[in-house]
Amino acid sequence: MIRAAALVLLAVFILLPLAQAFMLSLTATLPKEGVAEGSMGLMNYAAVLASADLRAAMANSAVYVILNVILSIGLGLPAAYALARCSFVGDRHFMLLMLVFRLTPPVVLSLPIFILFSKLGLVNSPVGIALVHCLFNLPVAIWIMESFIRAVPRELDETAFLDGHSGLSFFFRHLIPEIAPGIGVAAFFCFIFSWVEVVFARILTVTAGKPITMAINAMFSFQTDIGMVMAMTCLSLMPGLAMIWLVRNHLARGFTLRA
Amino acid sequence: MPPHDNRAWLLLLPAVILLLVVGVLPLLAVVNYGFHDIFTLSDVHWVGLEWFADILGSDRFLASLGRSMLFSALVLSIQVPLGIGVALLLLHYRRRAVWGLMLCALPLVVPWNMIPMLWLGLIDSRAGLLGPWLAGVGFDHKFTALHTWVLILVMDTWHWLGLVVVLSYAALSSIPPAFRQAAAIDGASRWALFRFIELPRLAGALSIVFLLRFVDSFMIYTEAFAINAGGPQDATRFLSIELGEEIKGFSYGQAAARATLYLLIVLAVVWAFVVATRRQDARP
Repeated sequence: MIRAAALVLLAVFILLPLAQAFMLSLTATLPKEGVAEGSMGLMNYAAVLASADLRAAMANSAVYVILNVILSIGLGLPAAYALARCSFVGDRHFMLLMLVFRLTPPVVLSLPIFILFSKLGLVNSPVGIALVHCLFNLPVAIWIMESFIRAVPRELDETAFLDGHSGLSFFFRHLIPEIAPGIGVAAFFCFIFSWVEVVFARILTVTAGKPITMAINAMFSFQTDIGMVMAMTCLSLMPGLAMIWLVRNHLARGFTLRA
Repeated sequence: MPPHDNRAWLLLLPAVILLLVVGVLPLLAVVNYGFHDIFTLSDVHWVGLEWFADILGSDRFLASLGRSMLFSALVLSIQVPLGIGVALLLLHYRRRAVWGLMLCALPLVVPWNMIPMLWLGLIDSRAGLLGPWLAGVGFDHKFTALHTWVLILVMDTWHWLGLVVVLSYAALSSIPPAFRQAAAIDGASRWALFRFIELPRLAGALSIVFLLRFVDSFMIYTEAFAINAGGPQDATRFLSIELGEEIKGFSYGQAAARATLYLLIVLAVVWAFVVATRRQDARP
């Protein structure tokens, strides 16, 4: 009884702000042609999808997030494998260094990253944001995948190599299928951390390539159409919700720290 | 003991190179800027430790440091026990717990700049779901410092509780049922079960939670600034808000010195934490 009550309380706490946003997104909050203020319907969503700027913002976000996930997993997997299977000079220091990068506040690095990236021509480009987000996502990806690889018995590697698999074909034919859930969880965390990040995404998009978060900020003006802002917010949650659904059964296999 | 093989570094190489470019180079640049006065990037003067002395000697810095420390302490002491509690609660539901986990993970996918807007919308005295009621009991996040603090803490808990729950649940669900059965046969109390069986399993996950929650709350910016811009009367002026002001005001040298200081504080805490937990591990 108490347990059920606690669960209900938790659900209300978590869902209340989202419910408010969802309701507003279905309400006409500014009087417009043919639509009375306060009437309900999908017109805010239609307005968002009709705006070329907002559509472009969604595409920009999607591009750098996907790029970041590919980079984090692609570079993280070999590193995670090395850390899980071998001991070598400086392995513990490497883990500690990862920790330091994950824990460096973005505000601290925003200025030099901007200067460095404008020299490299990576400002206003999704590639730049995808690279910077690796700063905190690569460590997370390595931690998660390392703990999953560690759970696979070493015999898997040894039989594969005895069967004459090369390193590459072992990675793709044996290791990746074996730790697919781990890759899924790592991709999930990389995805959401990159999707919701604001500081780097803001400073690296000066004139073009605005991500979804900045497009929402830009919608605030003298007369803000809050219903449309909320419609955009609800849309921005969709990929995250889809990711949660995809990894739901593996979400609870987290990562542990070994520094 | 895994085999010793230094060729493993080759597998680490791509990751190391990337982190060198996006992490190490900017870090060195920040430290370097901190010793300079920067008008434009071509007009740079060496000022030595002047910025550092200025910042460390100012009362405002110490006050902000105190506020950020207090905020992190409150965040950790609220979210960690609450998250473990929710994880233990979900554990009772076995297969259906996954729905609870998905629920808790929801706020994690909300873009950070939207979180304060969601909460400000919720407590809006005219249109918010909670607004009229809160106004009735005299809640005023704009002008009462205590209420601003409460709002930011509630919002931050809403945002990050899911992370604590998911990681704690992962650790707790890895305990073999035999452990609990043995404890039940021995007649262990609920507290003893938690202290001697569940807590040791949680330790690894909790150290991650502690570090992540400490750093992110200590450097909270996007969310806290949007609620009340550091007010009322600087009551929620955290460290990162001062840094943001300097960057917006183009005093790059001073901002870099400040960023270096913050980084040193964060690293000192992390280092102390790692040393402390290692000592714990080494204990027989």
